[in-house]
Amino acid sequence: MKKYLSILLVALAMPFTVTPVNAATEVTFWHMEGVPHRVDRIQSLIDEFNSANPDVVVTQEVQNWGEIYAKAPASVASGTAPEILVGIPDFTPILAEMGAAQPVDDFISELDSKYGFYSKALDQYTYNGHTWAVPLWNMAISVWYRKSVLEAAGVQPPTTWSELEAAAKALTKDGMYGIGLPGNKQLYTDQTIYSFMVNSGASEIYNSDGSLRFDNEGTVKAYDAYKNLYQYSAPDAANWTWGEAEACFASNGCAMILQFTVISTYDSQAEGDAEDLGVIQIPYADGMADSAGTVSYVNSAMIMTDDAAKMDASKRFISFLMEPGNYGRFINMEPGLFLPITEAGSKDDTFWNDPVAVKYKSQIETMLDNSTRGSLFGFTNGNTFTSISAISAQNLLSQTLQLAIIDGQNAASAVAEGQSIMTEAIE
Amino acid sequence: MKYQNKEGWIFVAPLLCWLAFSICVPLYIAIELSFFDIKIIGTEGKFVGFKNYIKTLNSSKFPKALTNSIYWVLANAITQTFFAFLIALTLNKHFKGVKIATNWIILSFIIPTVVIVVIWKLMLSSSSGIINSLLVQFHIIDKPIGFFSSSTSAFVSLVLINSWRWSPFLALIILSGLKSINQEIYDASKIDGASFYAEFFQITLPQLKGVLFVLGLVGTLLSFNVFDIIWLITKGGPSSATTTLPLLIYETAFTKFRISQAAALSVITSFILLTFSIVFIKIMGKDND
Amino acid sequence: MIKDKGKLFLGGSLSVIFIIFFFPFFWIISSAFKSPQEIIQKDSTIVPRSFTFEHFEKILFSSDFLIYLKNSLIVSFFSMFIAVILSIFAAYGLHKLKFYGNKLVERSLLVTYAFPGVILLIPMYLMLGKMGLLNSYFALILINVTFSTPFAVWMLKAFFKTIPYDIEEAAMIDGASKITILFKIIFPLALPGIASVSIFCFIISWTEYMFASIMISGDDLKTLPVGLASIVGQYQIDWGFLLAGATLASLPVIILFIFVGKYFVSGLTDGAVKQ
Repeated sequence: MKKYLSILLVALAMPFTVTPVNAATEVTFWHMEGVPHRVDRIQSLIDEFNSANPDVVVTQEVQNWGEIYAKAPASVASGTAPEILVGIPDFTPILAEMGAAQPVDDFISELDSKYGFYSKALDQYTYNGHTWAVPLWNMAISVWYRKSVLEAAGVQPPTTWSELEAAAKALTKDGMYGIGLPGNKQLYTDQTIYSFMVNSGASEIYNSDGSLRFDNEGTVKAYDAYKNLYQYSAPDAANWTWGEAEACFASNGCAMILQFTVISTYDSQAEGDAEDLGVIQIPYADGMADSAGTVSYVNSAMIMTDDAAKMDASKRFISFLMEPGNYGRFINMEPGLFLPITEAGSKDDTFWNDPVAVKYKSQIETMLDNSTRGSLFGFTNGNTFTSISAISAQNLLSQTLQLAIIDGQNAASAVAEGQSIMTEAIE
Repeated sequence: MKYQNKEGWIFVAPLLCWLAFSICVPLYIAIELSFFDIKIIGTEGKFVGFKNYIKTLNSSKFPKALTNSIYWVLANAITQTFFAFLIALTLNKHFKGVKIATNWIILSFIIPTVVIVVIWKLMLSSSSGIINSLLVQFHIIDKPIGFFSSSTSAFVSLVLINSWRWSPFLALIILSGLKSINQEIYDASKIDGASFYAEFFQITLPQLKGVLFVLGLVGTLLSFNVFDIIWLITKGGPSSATTTLPLLIYETAFTKFRISQAAALSVITSFILLTFSIVFIKIMGKDND
Repeated sequence: MIKDKGKLFLGGSLSVIFIIFFFPFFWIISSAFKSPQEIIQKDSTIVPRSFTFEHFEKILFSSDFLIYLKNSLIVSFFSMFIAVILSIFAAYGLHKLKFYGNKLVERSLLVTYAFPGVILLIPMYLMLGKMGLLNSYFALILINVTFSTPFAVWMLKAFFKTIPYDIEEAAMIDGASKITILFKIIFPLALPGIASVSIFCFIISWTEYMFASIMISGDDLKTLPVGLASIVGQYQIDWGFLLAGATLASLPVIILFIFVGKYFVSGLTDGAVKQ
């Protein structure tokens, strides 16, 4: 009896004592795309990778945008950080400074030689002599409108700011708002006002020593133009995020809006008439030669571990995602929103073959073209400093804007005050 | 009655241990954090003594947030007291369906905050909201209003939404107090010909002293610390008009990346609330259990 | 004359209350059945002109809604049980056994509400992180019990007060121990009060957002409020989806309330608070 008992005990203990020779490396992937069909698409790609790579197990964990600024550093501090974290440009500098995000220079060169990154995309993650994350996709703001609505009002698609104001004025009638501009203290508003700043020569907010040059003539011009246009926007625009602006456009409440995309809501919640959907580049200040571009917002993958096996596994997963054939499917988790950031990616059939991409091909081509001339405040000309995280997280660009559009200050004094708020925030 | 110390403490001990772990320990850590200059959690910082406290008290944001908090508490107290009494007095009467109404009035309290945010953001929207739609249809206004677009309107809207959420709960507690008042007192006063107002102020209110004491204390504290609703709807805007102290603390910690400063601010805030509580208890607690 | 005026006021205040406190729910639920176009259209409708199940289908079958529901149910039930047990003992201790410091303990319990939740957030995250308790049901239960017990103790103490002392005295003369008295006599008599305290604790747990969103990082443990917030897209908002989610997120508590609501309300209102 005793003999059998001891054999039984040993047999039961076996699984706990024998360490498997090839234990799978676990990689946790944190991202903020919680919409169910996006989660599903990512999961199917993860499943494909996991079966092709039995020595790695990737798991995705969705975080809420509202909490990620708090959660990511907290997870690093408590030792529970994920291996891969989807990064946003204004947040990566903090994580890089903490030593949480690993420099990926060699990895980038490798991917670059294979797929060819758009250089402006790399700009948003390259500073202090290293690149800190792998760009995954881009989003850039363009102006959206319905061709029929503009025609009916006898308005041409605007190219300059004075044309834009005239158009907004002419289009504001019968309960429709000529242009839906946000006035919220939020990232969407930051991005929108910056798209104006880019087009009045004010794209650079830093001097090369890290001090601010936010308060300059171009910025004042941009804030002034925005203030004049804001009167043609919806009354509750002070509360808008991207979703509310799109709803306004979809319901024909707004004639024009500045947005990354309206394609999916236009298709599912409005007429979905691809012929009628117009998209153009951001108008520029009078006196400039052409549109100088727009604001672009590149999301990336940061590697948060320095364990050799996990780093290697993470890189393999990221490479898998970047491969044409997978890449198109990956960024089409939300078709018509995420744009490719590599040359190879922009030629990927799986990107263009998605039904939505086929239906709205010309619009997406324009979006892509606009995005290649997109930049982000704080990441221009190599003048990137950690302080941009505080400026962006506190939405100081839109806070300054609110001084003008809500508190009623004139553009010049609002911008001046904005600069001092920013200076105080970064010391 | 004999004083039974040991047994009393034994009964209370489990809860006290739980709260010691979940409140006292974090509180201690927070106080400790406040004496250093840590910016992002998990990074190192050096000991700076009271520097964070001095900085907070001297900053312009602190008095503004404090004033906003005080206005917030007062506005909510007035609004909620009004609605709570309106509901309680109504439900104290006898009419068909009073039981159902009493059962379900609490609906706005039992649903998650996120749902409340969704409901009111959509209802008050100027593009797709029913409120603006009705106001325009009935010619009360000729263009939709932005309920969150100006400092005042945002503040007022938030007070109303928060009151919408809490009034039924307060109403039920007041109702319980009302039901415990001896009907004979009212009958006697009716014989003397007392008016509604006289009854209310001279009988009802005094009889509700116990209930109003707790509601005044806990209600003020809970109101002061409301975070979710304000954060999810206006994030403290526009232009910091709705940034109360809890929001300022959260912002300082997570968008300004200054944990130690936020900790100092939290300690100052708690100190203010504790002082208020002690004063309130001393003044109002005299003839209460 | 006075009676009519009284009836008028009653009718008036009832209508106002009904419109303010019940209409929003009607609008949200009916809107959840509208087509996407009708939800966002400029002239909002009260009575839906279209009808579709698509939003509910999407939520129930294409999202992790049911998982969030399961998590919320588990966390809320356990938080409720633990909170109620701890509160019953504490309330009884404070009420029947007049020990030195009774008043102090009672008042300091209420004063725990003086600490803004935010002040506990990060220290608790770090604490639980070091103990490996992040991303667990326990983390949430810890918070929920902490936030609901002080008020629960106050409510229970008030209920216990309504029980005539004679019954207890009789039992004590018979030689019953305190524990026996608590469970065999007090408990059954205070049942409505205990029921209402339980529901209160359940609801506090059900609606908690801030801590749940920070403490939990895995999708499989998300609670309903956090899950609902995450399925709302960042750059697009599918309003129908959101409304269906809001409706379904309220449904469980509403169902619970259909069964036990009357205990909660009667517990609160049947003269539980004696002066």
